[in-house]
Amino acid sequence: MNLYVCIKQVPDTETKIKVNGDASGIDTTGVKWIMSSYDEFAVEEALRLKEKNAGSTVTVVSAGPDRVVDALRTALAMGADNAIHVELPENADSNMAAKALTGALKKESGIDLIFFGKEALDDGAAQVPQLVATYMGIPAVTVVCGIEYSGNTLKCKREIEGGSFEMVEVSTPAVIAAHKGLNEPRYATLPNIMKAKKKEVKALKLADVGVSASDQKIKLKNFQLPPPKQAGKKIDGDAAAQAKALVTALHNEAKVI
Amino acid sequence: MTWQTLAFLIVGGGAFYLSGKKFAVLYQVMKAQKGKAPKFEDFGKRFQTALVNVLGQKAVLQNPGIGIAHTLIFWGFIIISIGTVEQFVMTMYSGASFEFIGETLYHAFVFSQDLFTALVLLGVIFAAYRRFIIKPKHLGQSKDANNVLMFTGGLMISIFLMNAFHAAGNPWFRDSYFISSLIADGFAGLNLSEDANHGLFTFFKWVHMLLVLGFAVYIPGSKHLHIVAAGPNTFLRKLNREKGMTPINFEDETVTQYGAAKVTDLSWKDALDLYSCTECGRCQELCPAWNTDKPLSPKNLIVDIKKNLHTNKPLILEGKADEVGHIIDDHVTEDVIWACTSCRACEIACPVFIEHTDKIYDARRNLVMMESRFPAEVQAVFKNMETNASPWAFSPSERANWADGLDVKKMADVGSADQLDVLLWVGCAGSYDDRNKSVVKSFVNLLNKAGMKFAILGTEEQCTGDSARRIGNEYLFQTLAKANVETLNRYNVKRIVTACPHCFNTLKNEYGEMGGQYEVFHHSQFIAQMIGEGKLKSSKPINETVTFHDSCYLGRWNNVYAEPRKAIESIPQVKMVEMKLNHEKGMCCGAGGGRMWMEEHLGKRINVTRTEQALETGATTVATACPFCITMINDGMKEKDMVGKVKVKDIAELMDETT
Amino acid sequence: MAKVLVFVEQREGKLKKASFEILGASAAAGNETHAVIIGDGVAGLANECAQYGANKVHVVQDAALKNYTGEAYSKALVAAIKNISPEIILASHTPMGKELLPIVAAHVDGALATDCTSLQFAGGKLQLKRPVYSGKAIAEVEFCGSGIQMATIRQNAIGLPKPDSSKTADSSSITVDLSGLKTKILEVVKGNSARPDVTEASIVVSGGRSLKASENFKILEDLADTMGAAVGASRAAVDAGYRPHRDQVGQTGKVVSPSLYIACGISGAIQHLAGMRTSKVIVAINTDPQAPIFQIADYAIVGDLFQIVPALTNEVKHLKE
Repeated sequence: MNLYVCIKQVPDTETKIKVNGDASGIDTTGVKWIMSSYDEFAVEEALRLKEKNAGSTVTVVSAGPDRVVDALRTALAMGADNAIHVELPENADSNMAAKALTGALKKESGIDLIFFGKEALDDGAAQVPQLVATYMGIPAVTVVCGIEYSGNTLKCKREIEGGSFEMVEVSTPAVIAAHKGLNEPRYATLPNIMKAKKKEVKALKLADVGVSASDQKIKLKNFQLPPPKQAGKKIDGDAAAQAKALVTALHNEAKVI
Repeated sequence: MTWQTLAFLIVGGGAFYLSGKKFAVLYQVMKAQKGKAPKFEDFGKRFQTALVNVLGQKAVLQNPGIGIAHTLIFWGFIIISIGTVEQFVMTMYSGASFEFIGETLYHAFVFSQDLFTALVLLGVIFAAYRRFIIKPKHLGQSKDANNVLMFTGGLMISIFLMNAFHAAGNPWFRDSYFISSLIADGFAGLNLSEDANHGLFTFFKWVHMLLVLGFAVYIPGSKHLHIVAAGPNTFLRKLNREKGMTPINFEDETVTQYGAAKVTDLSWKDALDLYSCTECGRCQELCPAWNTDKPLSPKNLIVDIKKNLHTNKPLILEGKADEVGHIIDDHVTEDVIWACTSCRACEIACPVFIEHTDKIYDARRNLVMMESRFPAEVQAVFKNMETNASPWAFSPSERANWADGLDVKKMADVGSADQLDVLLWVGCAGSYDDRNKSVVKSFVNLLNKAGMKFAILGTEEQCTGDSARRIGNEYLFQTLAKANVETLNRYNVKRIVTACPHCFNTLKNEYGEMGGQYEVFHHSQFIAQMIGEGKLKSSKPINETVTFHDSCYLGRWNNVYAEPRKAIESIPQVKMVEMKLNHEKGMCCGAGGGRMWMEEHLGKRINVTRTEQALETGATTVATACPFCITMINDGMKEKDMVGKVKVKDIAELMDETT
Repeated sequence: MAKVLVFVEQREGKLKKASFEILGASAAAGNETHAVIIGDGVAGLANECAQYGANKVHVVQDAALKNYTGEAYSKALVAAIKNISPEIILASHTPMGKELLPIVAAHVDGALATDCTSLQFAGGKLQLKRPVYSGKAIAEVEFCGSGIQMATIRQNAIGLPKPDSSKTADSSSITVDLSGLKTKILEVVKGNSARPDVTEASIVVSGGRSLKASENFKILEDLADTMGAAVGASRAAVDAGYRPHRDQVGQTGKVVSPSLYIACGISGAIQHLAGMRTSKVIVAINTDPQAPIFQIADYAIVGDLFQIVPALTNEVKHLKE
């Protein structure tokens, strides 16, 4: 099988976010970059599928500045065979990224499956998998936390609200956007880390994939930090009053229920 | 040539040949080991340790009862061997003996034979009584052990009978044969002829010699091999045990195998360890894993690895090491390897200086770095260390937040450690864990009270990598260690104090090989020193009964036992009590060896067991000197519903409250 | 004033409240608001859309649209877009909306911003804000070029309008060719049958050792079930055998980051904090006012969980009704 995984490099989740000078993004000095964690499920799923199907290859693709090569090497260390880096400016939007990835993927042939993380940890847009699928003319199933494979048919467990699931059947070629629970991503072995350092990463320029500035559809600006987390609110009264006050606060103020 | 000479040439020659061949195989197997053995230097010290522990039997005598029995047998065997040599000589050359040494000396020699035969027999009887009647739990049952006891007992009895008939036929020896002659008296009623006495003497001499020769053939395949291996093993023990973990050179591209995948990946010194084990079970007796029903017994670990080695002997001798199976097998399971807290109680207890933890570390290194097999919960720890330089998922930018509002300087502001008395190494627990933040704050108060000039690295500090190293991720350890060494050297740091024994051990003993040479103190040492210099004095009495829980990395790995106790005892009115297991025998809290980051699914929880031991003392406060210990004992108190009834405090907190 | 298309989401013939939030906001801004309902036998839902502000309701019905799939629904919605020619397309950032809109955006060359928490209209254009870096920052959205503006809006972010129950819909139907579909729904597994896993749930209700017995977790389960939440536990509770290890939240258990974490009788040792510290909203219920969990709690209740938790369950039930 020809398996592809599109990954994104993002700041580590513990990174303290600081806004940059013109508020057009974040200050990236001192940021530790990692592979977005949903993408790890995607890489792992492709690797497991490869291990079950002799002769398969796993190719990881990432669009972004030069630093994303590190994320590609992380995926190579996990066991991916090939890596493609597509040049993309730092603050490109989902559409431009999707066009760049699609351009790179269209240079490949005989694609069976393209795995993604269900969303990236930085912008949380959850757009690129569907965009790429549509540009490639193939279906996408997102938020997938379980897959049963039989031939070129996949039975995907897609999580929806309220702890419910849709069991979606789709046939290859298709895009799968991975969610937690799909698998437990592996920790790379040291020999594989060493080998990954030396593997060649194919580099593509924006022009190579036919992407231009006009593919950028939205821009994020005026970045602001949310007001500092306030000291916890103490809710007093008897049990019934406390419960009522809490539920009201969670609904109207915190807006989480 | 007499029939005796001929018989001895055939039987003795055969036995020596068989025995020699077995030993040669053991040697070849040992030589074929691929692992890197440590360097052996400092021979003066080695002779000293061998003298004290082999001839002096010091390590064996740690357990007085069986220790004395062993010493009797050990010395007995050496003395009796001289007699055995005489028997061989007189058998080879009819009529020859050691009598040429002179009458007085020869009488003394004969006397010694009788005396030590009796002493060995006493030792054997005690050992048999212990093995069959007392049956200590850690000893277990062993056919091999029974055989050895039978051989030894048989040897002594045959000597007595031989000497009895010798004395009966040679009355002028009667005084020297002071025990055998009593046996001879028993036979006096038979009125045996001189010839009959001589014949029986010869018969029992042969019985004894055949037993000796049989034993010589038996030993190489038995646990009794220790009589040959333990001496050299003691001589070759790691003298700087605290620097036990050998770094891997990742720059060397010819190395493609990390840790031990197979028994043959261990070093020849490890093989000698295996040969030295006589299955006495002392290691197991004190093992926190074994005592809480985990699958790990240090004794079984060694025995099972030895079995693995023996099973693979044919392949090794044929040079087919590639076909040797995995070191992890049905006996040495992954659960066994992960159960170790690296507390080193086994090694301290071992009378022949077997280094158990090395085998565990080597197996772990292979599982982690080559096969990525480890308890699932550890992956998050590795990832956190990689990205956030802390086993817990906290932002490195928050590392120094605990010091907000306190008068604690950061190295970045101080510029150079030359201006300071000492650098305070906070550690991850002190930086992020509420309970341990309070310990560090107390220690900061003490430093200020004593007028010490100190600073912290702040956000530049990273995890020392201790847990990564113990779990087997040497690569991650070295990444962290090198980063820290770079920072410390940049500030020209020379003296470091820390409240974490794991950081202490790593900085003190392991950073040297990473390019960082520092004088490192544990805060207990520093506190004791400040008390000694009169800079710190407890003045407020507290009416508490305090018991101190020894941290393994402070005590057994670094021999710091007195200082924390000195600090506690300096507090007016404190009553100090010891737990049953203290100092070298102190029981681990369960968090060492990376176990802090793993679930404890099997057996009883170690921390609860240790907490129960602390509660048995009736102490009102349990004092600790380690962030992991305090966490584990605290959890133990929760489990026992003793929170609020018995306090758990770091020694720095006790000192801060009373100064 | 703009021509706005709102994708109004339904499952099993029930419209989502989140869609009404958007209808209301669009109508309130004076837009020409078109609601599009996709499904099978859903024409009867049109009036409700009108009551929340839709000027016109378009229904796309087909047996193949009975259950949602991105592929079929995107075809339906694209057909509706061709028919209506909106300047703005909005949907909720629900599991359905967030999958669907990007597919549609690719088809109609729209400019899409997802998961917006602020929705305004100015001069016929969208003004949006969206959180980034898991809510650690907020950014404004600027549309480049002149294509269709599209957005998905986070649920509960803009508030529900009051419906005008007197209104009836001006509705029409749109047909779509759904041949050659490559995906199909085999089954929808209902949430009630299985409580979500702690790592996957957006709400987690966790209990500690002070629940004192595994039976007592029943009260947490009741609360969790009313909210579609998962039930978690501290290590102490798991060690005591009250819950299975897979429910354990913490350093050596699961690391979770739900939008709401309710810690009941959990003191908050670092082992536990390491597993839930990044939750967006943390509620702590504990009898000990000194418990470290209160230091990171957004809402702190000092009190007896055995009284408070059942009261909470009742309140949540009220809210849902």
